[in-house]
Amino acid sequence: MEENQKPNHEKLDEGIDFGVSRLTPEKIEAAINAVFNRETGARFRAYVETCIHCGLCADACHFYLSRDKDPRFSPAGKVKQTVWPMLKAKGKVDAEMIRQAARIAHTECNLCKRCAIYCPFGIDIAYLMSMVRRVIHKLGATPLYLQDTAHSHAATMNQMWVKGDEWIDTLQWQEEEARAEFPSLRIPLEVEGADIMYSVIAPEPKFQAQLIYQMAAIMHTAGVRWTMPATMGWDNSDMAMFSGDNEIMGRIKRAHFDTAARLRVKRIVMGECGHAFRSVYDMGNRWLGWARPPIPIVHAIEFYYELLKSGRLRIARKYEKPVTLHDPCNVSRGAGLHEMARYVADQICEQVVEMHPNREYNYCCAAGGGVINCGPPFKNTRVLGNKIKAEQLFDAKSRGAQTMIAPCHNCHSGLHDIVHHYEVGLEIKFFGDIIYECMEKE
Amino acid sequence: MKIKIGILLAVLLGSVLVVLAFGQYEMQVVENYYFPNPQRPPAVFEHDRHNETAELWDCMICHHVYDEQGVQSDWESSEDQACADCHGLEDQGGMPGLRKAFHQSCKGCHLTERKGPVTCAECHVKP
Amino acid sequence: MHALYEWVAGPLTWVAFAVFVIGLVFRLVQVLVMVRKTEPFIFTYMSWKFSLRSIGRWLVPFATLRWRTSPVMTVATFAFHLCLLVTPVFVLSHIVLWDEAWGVQWWALPDAVADVMTVVVIAGCLFFAGRRIVRREVRFLTDASDYFLLALTAAPFVTGFLAYHQVTQGAGMTIAHMISGQVLLAAIPFTRLRHMLLGWLTRAYMGSEFGGVRRARDY
Repeated sequence: MEENQKPNHEKLDEGIDFGVSRLTPEKIEAAINAVFNRETGARFRAYVETCIHCGLCADACHFYLSRDKDPRFSPAGKVKQTVWPMLKAKGKVDAEMIRQAARIAHTECNLCKRCAIYCPFGIDIAYLMSMVRRVIHKLGATPLYLQDTAHSHAATMNQMWVKGDEWIDTLQWQEEEARAEFPSLRIPLEVEGADIMYSVIAPEPKFQAQLIYQMAAIMHTAGVRWTMPATMGWDNSDMAMFSGDNEIMGRIKRAHFDTAARLRVKRIVMGECGHAFRSVYDMGNRWLGWARPPIPIVHAIEFYYELLKSGRLRIARKYEKPVTLHDPCNVSRGAGLHEMARYVADQICEQVVEMHPNREYNYCCAAGGGVINCGPPFKNTRVLGNKIKAEQLFDAKSRGAQTMIAPCHNCHSGLHDIVHHYEVGLEIKFFGDIIYECMEKE
Repeated sequence: MKIKIGILLAVLLGSVLVVLAFGQYEMQVVENYYFPNPQRPPAVFEHDRHNETAELWDCMICHHVYDEQGVQSDWESSEDQACADCHGLEDQGGMPGLRKAFHQSCKGCHLTERKGPVTCAECHVKP
Repeated sequence: MHALYEWVAGPLTWVAFAVFVIGLVFRLVQVLVMVRKTEPFIFTYMSWKFSLRSIGRWLVPFATLRWRTSPVMTVATFAFHLCLLVTPVFVLSHIVLWDEAWGVQWWALPDAVADVMTVVVIAGCLFFAGRRIVRREVRFLTDASDYFLLALTAAPFVTGFLAYHQVTQGAGMTIAHMISGQVLLAAIPFTRLRHMLLGWLTRAYMGSEFGGVRRARDY
């Protein structure tokens, strides 16, 4: 009540500001009521009506902890600034309120759901925030960079405007590179009936092609019968899920599942990405009406776990520097892969130093949930908003960690910014980097 | 003289004892020593003053006698007995337990008559 | 006074209990119908095992991360809620009334214990109110309705305490006690006090999501 109501007329974001400039009270009211009264139901009502305003969720949030416990950044505090006034006024809120709601829901919440395990009632504030994003989406006031990503999804079925031929070119380029090291290596395209379809997120072909190289090397070494699609549907990422554009989210996921079905694979293995896993394993399938994914989804962590456990992949020499393991929300709190991640880490590294908190309780990287995809205008929001992460990493470092494993693209990039800004001095790697480096290559 | 004084003292002492004895006989509270672990102070009940105030002359209203069929006798009363002689701690068939019997007699009548205390604290007065 | 007492102890009590029970049943049915109509997938994910795992954890002090990391609040809220629910059901004077009305009775708390538990409830309300003032993250979420709910909750216990200790003469305090209790009961289905019902459902759903889909702890 005290410090928050200053109207802020400085530029926030081109997408938000432009979108908001076109709003009318009627549009706002219609969008809010469409989402809150028709698209949501019992869950939304129960969450809002059950909250007893106890504030126990506050300590869960990295933004709150990092911003000197400013209550505006607490999970319920964000609901108070967004959902409550919208509900109370039955949608009759002004454009400035929508502008602030867009800032809060899109850039000050990572939908990491850590607060859900802090709330005694299990209120899912991430869900409430994603419903606010849905309203913002319907009002056309989504942050510019995130909206661009969603447009890319809509137009190309991948996140980064990768053209059809570029995709195939990149795979063939990586195959060619890898054949210098593994002469018989293939990146098999369009192999119907393969055991596994391997899917990645678009940043990999766009600027991290070595990750495709590494996975190809691992697949080759472990003798996996795998394939990658030459058509769209290869991208498992899904920023529409975070922009509130559920319709596009569903289209992307359908393309992904359809592609796997067309290739008649037994399972889909995906790279070290968190949000993509969430989109395929949890959100997209539900939007499309599947309680569980129609084709089993295996995250890279689980895949490495299987390969190492079964001995199909052997480690020649363990990674020597002590590592610490960052549990991404979407694979640990979101899918319980943290113990498998520890098995993999122990198998490939000499020493694992736990950061605290860890596993389901780990702090978010502040990049996920579409926040990093809101681009440069909000880089400081997430870096300054995650001082607590830097402190957590400094602590792990003080106990010997030199390298951090972050098995998620968003985490990877977000943590990179944090490590750089706070001068933490930890090297950041994917599991795949270390496995590729340390595995036996016959 | 000494004897006279002695007689006088004896008479005085005797009167005091008699007064004390009659004073004790005059009921001040509903004794609760029948209850194994009474939680409240005994209910204040000054028998004679209550009955005078209430103009209550029919003893059988409280000192009732019921036969086996549960019909109240219209001639027999039970002043010579303690309530607890019949009423046990628990209800027995149609006969309420002692606590309930007290509460129903007092409070029930007070409500019917629109007079007298009905809430806990009004009777179970803390000393 | 007698007419008022009879009315409060009789019809008004019936009304309060009826509103409380029917109100909560209505809320429950309303939620279930709404789930069926708008989010039937929720039933797909509900799991008894994981619901009970989650509820069980959260019912034990210090068995969840949140309880362990906020020990004062944990002790306060458990003591408060336990006394809040147990005292009215097992206090002797209530049992006496039920016994006289319906001939049912059960084990009663010694008055001295019930007295302490009443103080715990009142102290709990004061603690929560103080928390709302002192702690910034709670103050930010607090509006008048939160204090109103605390006052509503404390009222029957304050009046009960005063009546028991005979601070005032006559039947007034006891009647105030009964009315405040009835207001509290009847208010539950219509205020956020309905967390008494909905809290179990949201917890169960989150437990099912975390156990069945996320395969992770929600405690």
